Amino acid sequence: MTQQLPAPQSQRIVLPPHRQRARRPRSVRTREWIHRNLFPSTAGTALTIVSVTFIAALTVGIVWFVFFDANWRVITDNRWLLFAGSFPHDQEWRLWAAMGFVFALIGLSYGMWSSLGRKDHLFIVLTGIAVILFMGHGGAAFWSSLWFLLSIALLFLGYVIARTIGHDRARQRSLLTRVILLRFAFDDAFSLRGGFDKTVPIQTRARAVRVALFPTRTGANRIVGGLLILALPLVLVILLAGGGASMRELDGFVLNLLLAPVGIVGGLVIAIPLAIGRASKLHAIKWTCTAYIEIVRGAPLLGWLFVALFILDDIIGGDLIIRTMVVLAVFTAAYMAEYIRGALQTLPHGQYEAAQAVGLSRGQSLRLIIMPQALRISIPPIVGQAIAIWKDTTLVTVILPLRELKGNADSAIAQSEFIPDRIEAYIFVAVAFWIVAFIMSRISQRMERAQGIGER
Amino acid sequence: MHRSLLRKYGSSWRTGAIVTLVAILGALALVACTSSDEQDSAAGRGNTVQAVKDSGVLKCGVKQTQPLFGFREPDGTVSGFDVEFCKAIQAALGDGVGLELVDASDASTRFELLNDGEIDVLIRTTTITASRDRELGVDFAQTTFYTGQGFAVHADSGINATSDMGGRTICVQSGTTTEQNLADHFTDLGLDFTPLGGGDQETQDAFVAGRCDVWTADQSNLASRIGVLDNASDFVILGELISKEPLAPGVRDYDSEWKDVVNWVVHGLIAAEELGITRANVASMAANPPNTTVARLLGVSFEGGEVSTLGFDSVNAQFIQRAIAAVGNYGEIYANTVGDAVPRACSLNALASEDKSNCPPGTGGIQYALPYR
Repeated sequence: MTQQLPAPQSQRIVLPPHRQRARRPRSVRTREWIHRNLFPSTAGTALTIVSVTFIAALTVGIVWFVFFDANWRVITDNRWLLFAGSFPHDQEWRLWAAMGFVFALIGLSYGMWSSLGRKDHLFIVLTGIAVILFMGHGGAAFWSSLWFLLSIALLFLGYVIARTIGHDRARQRSLLTRVILLRFAFDDAFSLRGGFDKTVPIQTRARAVRVALFPTRTGANRIVGGLLILALPLVLVILLAGGGASMRELDGFVLNLLLAPVGIVGGLVIAIPLAIGRASKLHAIKWTCTAYIEIVRGAPLLGWLFVALFILDDIIGGDLIIRTMVVLAVFTAAYMAEYIRGALQTLPHGQYEAAQAVGLSRGQSLRLIIMPQALRISIPPIVGQAIAIWKDTTLVTVILPLRELKGNADSAIAQSEFIPDRIEAYIFVAVAFWIVAFIMSRISQRMERAQGIGER
Repeated sequence: MHRSLLRKYGSSWRTGAIVTLVAILGALALVACTSSDEQDSAAGRGNTVQAVKDSGVLKCGVKQTQPLFGFREPDGTVSGFDVEFCKAIQAALGDGVGLELVDASDASTRFELLNDGEIDVLIRTTTITASRDRELGVDFAQTTFYTGQGFAVHADSGINATSDMGGRTICVQSGTTTEQNLADHFTDLGLDFTPLGGGDQETQDAFVAGRCDVWTADQSNLASRIGVLDNASDFVILGELISKEPLAPGVRDYDSEWKDVVNWVVHGLIAAEELGITRANVASMAANPPNTTVARLLGVSFEGGEVSTLGFDSVNAQFIQRAIAAVGNYGEIYANTVGDAVPRACSLNALASEDKSNCPPGTGGIQYALPYR
């Protein structure tokens, strides 16, 4: 690269006289823009008129439906049915606790490894307002709204905490250092003679406490990473443990929100050894992995859910929801393994050789050199598969005696007063699925940017 | 490493052949597993009454998407006409038996759920037919609801009977016995019609929007769906029925102990209505039975006589009394869930009385309990 001198900032660029044009007033420029872009020719004008009419009609239609025609009571009256179904009512706090935990974790992760942009803030605020409006429309929603706002507050709190730690440059801080810092902050307060020393500014004390108690960035990375790995078991513990719901009482949107992560995370965990195994030189391992992938991928998910219902109960037993989770993970794994294998094949051979040259063992080179790169490359297709399996969770209603969001929407429109309102119910289901899929897609984009995909 | 990989995957027909073989063997193994399963379940699960008492949970398969019969309330509970019978059977089995209402909304897997032991009894607007009884490993108890295939028309269409429907467009749910009945009926009449198929909801939409002149389905279904429309008066449900659709609880074949209990709970609830026993007065009736019939039904002694269990030892003689105390008699169940939305089959009392208002033409049959003695 040739070096370029930075252009002087203050100097205005002066064009030569033949390129100078008088700066015309804004109204003229606007008129010119309109003429150039909307009415350039007869065909263009016709196209503009047709498009504008179409868009206007569509907008009027949507506004008319959403605000005047639709009967949203089918949703708001059935809030509980759609979201939690047969979850025990006296255990409602567990749902909110799980939600708060997940929101806080999302905030922490964002603060740790990324940042919230203006669009993210807008999305959170708009979604939040929509949710609260929906809850308010159903009446008696004060506590629900409060819990929901608290969850959003936890999200931002987690974000702020993670950002604060993110500024801490220290890699490690010994216990001794922490004790000394704490001593400094409170020493005088407990001394018998002088009492509280007012000359030490309160900010200094606060800072000492913060530095003493908060983990360093490396430590925080480990904590948040560990929480992310344990998130799903922890949510299940919050919902089920110690007199909570039974497995069969997981229902409605809660069920979708539990099934999909199990499928995605479980699938990824199974997929990595499968992808490596398929590239193995040992024929037994290679063929086992190949057979797994080809058999599982060859039949539709619907078929495998039948297996969960009628065959797995004699093989592994357990609750139907557990069996469904197993099937979702096993099914997703077959696809993800192929994405990872594809990524493994795009890695230049030099990477393997370089790892060998510096004396890494096979396991080490996989763990330190190969898999990080392969996983990074396969983020986009893996997220695509994750979104697909998220939407496929509706299939459990189709053939299994399990009720998720779409199934409960079907139940809601079987109530006599809401039989005519199923368009509203299905639009709501679609929007709910879209919101979660959109969040997944945004997180994927963030991860890609953070990992520098496409910039290598 | 990756080059060797590519070479190995590139075009080894042997790998492909072996994979195919493994896949076929795997599929065969799965098929073998399932077929041996079915034999196991048919032979091994012979005593549901004992099994339910041991596990403490009655698993009742109900629909959750059918207005009036099986749907869910906003608070998540399942309710409806069918669900009341689940509660009655649960109560009949005695204290300490819980109820799990399993979703059996999907028509195509309902009998497999029963045969696989996912549910103990299927109460899900299921029509008794000979082929189901013989071929699907299911046994039916007493009919809980009599209906038949009926027709709804637009009020201004001038159609009064199926004989007026020649050349008209008829909306009918695809892939159902309803569709078959319709074709048979019009073949018999020697008339043509244009069928317009679709799901349950689509047929309703098409009919309401005027894309077809006639909508055919179970009359109970027509009544429950049309009655709630804003412009319900624009439509007329004809009195004519072209098929019999007796809806009954189903249990697994080869378990007559269990079938008898389910069967006689239904009969008992119908008998209770005939005898004037209600949820409110069942306790006083049991304490002081007016006659031997009531005493026998409630499993109590009449004027110091002996209590006859009639062989229902596994659930004890008072099982019908418990069922009535839990959900009321048949008439109460009907009034609380279906109400006026669908005309009721005649009770024996209504048929015997001079007042025929409870038995208008077109009601689905006569319902009376078999003698409990």
